Amino acid sequence: MITLKSKVISICLILILFSFSILNGMVDDWGRLSGGISNLFIFFSESLWPPNWSVIEPQNYPVCTTYPLFDFTCSTAWIGMSETIKIAFVSTIFGSIISLPISILAARNLSSLGVSYFARILLAAARSLPSIIWAIFFVILVGFGPFSGVLAMTIYTVGYLGKLQYESIEGMNSVPLESARSMGLSKIEIATGVVIPEMANSLISQVIFMFEYNVRHGTVIGIVGAGGIGYYINLYLKFLQYDKVISYLIIIFIVVLIIDFLSISARSYFNEGGDVSKPSWWDIFLPNLKKLK
Amino acid sequence: MKDGIATTKFYERPIVKLIDVEIGYKNNETLVKIPDLEIFPGEIVAIAGPSGVGKTTLLRTIAGLVKSISGKVEVCGKAIPHRPKRGELGYIPQRLGLVRHASVMHNVMLGANAGQKKEIFHKNKYIKLVGNSFLSLLPSKEAKRKSLEAIRKMGLSDKVGEPVRRLSGGQQRRVATARTLAQEPVLILADEFLSELDDETMAVVLKRVVEYIRNNNAALLVVEHDISRAKSMADRLLVIDDGRINPFITEVTMIEVKV
Repeated sequence: MITLKSKVISICLILILFSFSILNGMVDDWGRLSGGISNLFIFFSESLWPPNWSVIEPQNYPVCTTYPLFDFTCSTAWIGMSETIKIAFVSTIFGSIISLPISILAARNLSSLGVSYFARILLAAARSLPSIIWAIFFVILVGFGPFSGVLAMTIYTVGYLGKLQYESIEGMNSVPLESARSMGLSKIEIATGVVIPEMANSLISQVIFMFEYNVRHGTVIGIVGAGGIGYYINLYLKFLQYDKVISYLIIIFIVVLIIDFLSISARSYFNEGGDVSKPSWWDIFLPNLKKLK
Repeated sequence: MKDGIATTKFYERPIVKLIDVEIGYKNNETLVKIPDLEIFPGEIVAIAGPSGVGKTTLLRTIAGLVKSISGKVEVCGKAIPHRPKRGELGYIPQRLGLVRHASVMHNVMLGANAGQKKEIFHKNKYIKLVGNSFLSLLPSKEAKRKSLEAIRKMGLSDKVGEPVRRLSGGQQRRVATARTLAQEPVLILADEFLSELDDETMAVVLKRVVEYIRNNNAALLVVEHDISRAKSMADRLLVIDDGRINPFITEVTMIEVKV
């Protein structure tokens, strides 16, 4: 007798074998893999290491006029990273403002089939291109700089966040909606009075996640000239100054790690499970200090 | 007469009218057949019966949330399913349907706002539709007053700003009742709205609801699985039986029991 467990195992094995056979068709020489590893060691020891930390030193021009303790704020790493975070922040805020009404229209439990499909097509269109392609598009339209980055990330945020939001709205408890409908409340009243307050925790959690996502992806869009730290990475890649590139990558890694940590801490306050009390920003960023009070 | 509250004269035109209605869900067999049922203004009707027999489905059908398989369901002279008119129908589901993360006041205000008939007048129906939708979002002093009054009647004045999720089951049930009273509907459909309440609170809640029904010539259709409690509150008691109460019954039938 074939058990469910053996069925699952055989399906997994078939999928793995199938993937390997496809990969084998695409790879002409497996020997390149061992060459690649030795190349990595050479590249790492000759070009990448040690990192060149001059990227956190103030630039010669324009002249840094800040207090000497804060002169790192005139460095390309600081300027680039802060611009990336600014782009991510602005596009998350604008993106979530635009995506919320569209996701309400896209949710099948709130809108008719026609309206829902139209809204879903809009969101799918915004999501269909990666943010870097949107960035190329907006660099062509409005020119180089963070403005095109903000536009690109906003469009992508609308598509991605909209999908997350309408899926969680569709998963909400149907009883509050039913009682609101039977009371005769208008759709806009149901959306603002029932759906948004009931789903607030998960919607806020998704916005924080989107900010974290945008910071990670905002580092890439600068490569095509849409502002942020990616601009400097691209610049030094062109000059083959890989030791500076690795410094930027380490900085990005640390910043993303910090933002991930803050995001996880902030989102834990908005989780649906458990009876959490309404958090304040103080609780989110300085939880231990509050305990000491 | 119940609890010393005088029964008012019933008007001729029924608020709820069911003719040859078969109730159930799509692709499923009929749960219950109702040849004829009329509920008049000022009347309190209780439906009792064992669990799973179709009591809640009957309520949901009258609320326009489930289509009847056949027959005619009318509420306030209009065939169901139609989109309920603002404030016409107050529904207290078994699982209450409260916005758990919002305050008591917010929940009760939803009901009070539903009871408000704010309208703009314009020839173009689309402008009217959009205008009315946005108009309904404007807070009104009258709705606030009604909400506070309903909260006070339910003995929850000290919980006005409290999020609903922090209240006990009984308190949440009172919030749902307050929401419906603030709405001032013509018909209240209540699904076991007195469960989880202690005897003293139950008496107060029931008194307030009965008072509202009698004074406003509204109607109450309440589902109760406890037949003795149903008898104690209703003018009429309808029992849906699938043979579990009376073993001689072979198909699901609704019978009227004298109270």
